[in-house]
Amino acid sequence: MECTTCGPPGERPDRPHTFFSHEKTTCRQCGAEVLGRVVLRDGAVFRLSFCKDHGQSEEPVAPDADAWVKAFLARGRVPEGAAAGTAPHVFKQTTSTCPKCLALVDADVVIRDGRVYFHKTCAACGPSQALVSEDAAHYVGAYAFARAGTEPHAFQAEVKEGCPTDCGTCSDHEQHTCLPIIEVTDHCNLECPICIVNNQYSRHLHREALGLMLDRLIAAEGKCESVALSGGEPTSHPQILDLIDEASRPEIGRVVIITNGIRLGKDRAFAEALKARGAYVALQLDGFTADAHEKIRGRDLCKEKAAALAILKELEIPTQLIFVATRGANEAQLGQAVELLLSEDHIISLNFQPAAYTGLGGGSYAHDPLDRLTIPGVIRAVAEQSNGKLRGADFYPLPCSHPLCTSLTYLLRLDDGSFVPFARFVDFTRYTTLLRSSATLASSAEIHEAMEDVIHDVFANQDEIPRGPEILRALRRSIDVMFPPRPLDVKEAVRLGERQAKSIFIHHYMDKDDFDLERLRKCCHHYPQVDGRIMPACGFNMFHRGAAQGADTPLPSWGKKPWNADPHAGTPYLLEGGSLPPEDGKTRLRILG
Amino acid sequence: MTAAGMLEGRVALVTGGSRGLGRAVVRTLAREGAAVAFNYLKGEAEAEATLAELRGAGSQAWAFQASVLDRAALAAMVSAVEREAGTIDILVNNAGIGQVVPLALMEEEDWDRMMDTHVKGAFLATQAVLRGMVKVKRGRILNVSSLAGVKMMAAPVHYATAKAALKGFTEALAKEIGRYGITVNCIAPGVLEEGVSDHLPRERRDDYLRHCALRRMGTVAEVAEVAAFLVSDRNSFMNGATVVLDGGV
Repeated sequence: MECTTCGPPGERPDRPHTFFSHEKTTCRQCGAEVLGRVVLRDGAVFRLSFCKDHGQSEEPVAPDADAWVKAFLARGRVPEGAAAGTAPHVFKQTTSTCPKCLALVDADVVIRDGRVYFHKTCAACGPSQALVSEDAAHYVGAYAFARAGTEPHAFQAEVKEGCPTDCGTCSDHEQHTCLPIIEVTDHCNLECPICIVNNQYSRHLHREALGLMLDRLIAAEGKCESVALSGGEPTSHPQILDLIDEASRPEIGRVVIITNGIRLGKDRAFAEALKARGAYVALQLDGFTADAHEKIRGRDLCKEKAAALAILKELEIPTQLIFVATRGANEAQLGQAVELLLSEDHIISLNFQPAAYTGLGGGSYAHDPLDRLTIPGVIRAVAEQSNGKLRGADFYPLPCSHPLCTSLTYLLRLDDGSFVPFARFVDFTRYTTLLRSSATLASSAEIHEAMEDVIHDVFANQDEIPRGPEILRALRRSIDVMFPPRPLDVKEAVRLGERQAKSIFIHHYMDKDDFDLERLRKCCHHYPQVDGRIMPACGFNMFHRGAAQGADTPLPSWGKKPWNADPHAGTPYLLEGGSLPPEDGKTRLRILG
Repeated sequence: MTAAGMLEGRVALVTGGSRGLGRAVVRTLAREGAAVAFNYLKGEAEAEATLAELRGAGSQAWAFQASVLDRAALAAMVSAVEREAGTIDILVNNAGIGQVVPLALMEEEDWDRMMDTHVKGAFLATQAVLRGMVKVKRGRILNVSSLAGVKMMAAPVHYATAKAALKGFTEALAKEIGRYGITVNCIAPGVLEEGVSDHLPRERRDDYLRHCALRRMGTVAEVAEVAAFLVSDRNSFMNGATVVLDGGV
């Protein structure tokens, strides 16, 4: 399936197969144990494997892909009567990590009491278990959404040792970069207990370095619907506005600043400067009470968040909300976030992220790996807290990433200002094109065709679909707005759909407990690096950032720390002085600029 | 399978079916086994006669006095037929009018009436039956154009324009809804012995005959035979096409 995120169909080639699952196998030449990718191609099933001594090989698995997938899904169906208290049912195997030493270990994917767990044994550290899904039916059913990925124009790494050592991305990676996240600073004005990165207060990215990174990214991708500038806290970067200018290129649809919002709420001129540049804001908003903020952000941020929301609303800066859903901290406030999304025109999407316990804060955040929020838990909570506006059935797995990484729903705005989830009138099992890794529906040819199909379906069944005629009117309005009779540039193509539909994503980043190499294979959220690597997010967080277990996490021998290589000697990758003097605890909270 | 059963089990709607080519199409579709509904605007007596004839021959048939420009009436008609016989599988957009007037004397109302009856009428009737066709993912739509819409010939400008529009309507619609297993085709008859050619001045008929290889006008029955084939399952791969029946001009 051609990813529609960054350009019209045909610009980048599809992968020649649909990556389906991951399994261990043996090299046919030397018998060494190697990792294999099970793929669907031309109606059959194959296993692709890589041996570092003998290279790539392929072997047939089954002649009938449909029958094989059906049998695969059937293995995950546990009889309802056996839901509670029955013996664990091993659905499949994968490769995870030992939560103690981070070594890659085999994992049984076990269904027990309607949930899914990894059962792992590390030769050095012993056995461990982790909850990976609160709903086995969701977990197993997601595999039915597997779709072929898309290849970038260029890969940044060779396949030498295998996944995840070669990151990234190498030609064995199964998806291009849907969302590049560029960490422009490792400074921050918060010390979040749930922090997923590894702020060292040492570096700000130089504009020229960002320019080179974007050059490479565009060479690899052609066009990008969004580029996110992150950190650290990107608004701490003393030249953040210059960086936004640098990223504001014709090939890039949106420049998104991922921020905690503190500076926005205090610095009106800065907010106006963002508005003037057409930047988007992804606002970290994890709750609405002091207690919730204190638990996962370290202090009460109610006033700061309110101030940020106020200025974003006043200036009508297009905003995405990011809500880290954490057991015991804020899971009762998900419905409020949905209400906020639906009530404010400038808020275009809401991204729930079930907490990933990795990074300087999150890596040591106290939690029970057997009792945590996962995607089905978030869906259930959203359904319970949204006063009937959303149901569990409104959410579907995102096919372009690994379908276990993200679930989402789009909400169509009706003419009276209310919203209807697309799933109420679209059969997403047929129209997977509409399930895409994007905050909004873009004005692409592929989306146009899918919407025409949907319109005909609703037209034919409008008597059976609740609010069918209203939905038809809204779809008519949407296609009028989104597909004007003139050529659209990248920016306009992403902007036009923003007021027609909103989205709710649930994206579960991985950590040392629930890491799944199979999911990493198809990761589409990538961290571009100054040395040219484009690192799949969870692989980077787990093996290369050096904070999967909090501070001082040992790096594997093949780990590649961020910004640790400078292939272009003389290029000022970092701001003058290479690194800024470390700030003490107080100055860390200083707002720069 | 015999020719008599070509449309067995199908449900058809023919617009403008009380006389001329429309009536011939209605008769032929019924003969081929289809349950047939048709509408008419003025020819009540002819409609009654046609209906009686069809029913007398054992066909399921219905007639409705309704304008193709009356969206509500069309909806009610489709609803009534579908209640009685099931989803409409076949639509023949035949309703039309003729008027011979040079452009210099043409009133705006003349133009609008011509365009409305042929083009807007086809649009509204198609939209009325399309819901059911999309739902069952099956359907045949046949638009009745004219040689005047596909070839340069002496014909009233508004008539030729409206008939040419139906060709465009056919092609765009065929592209748009082909994915649902619905085919849309067009038939373009030359001058026939009855129907709108009743309005043609004698010199134009004579001119036609001079240029026609068969040296005669066609009959509505000849066109109806082709129409019945075009909307049948035997014609399964033709889509967006315009079939010219002109005796070789």
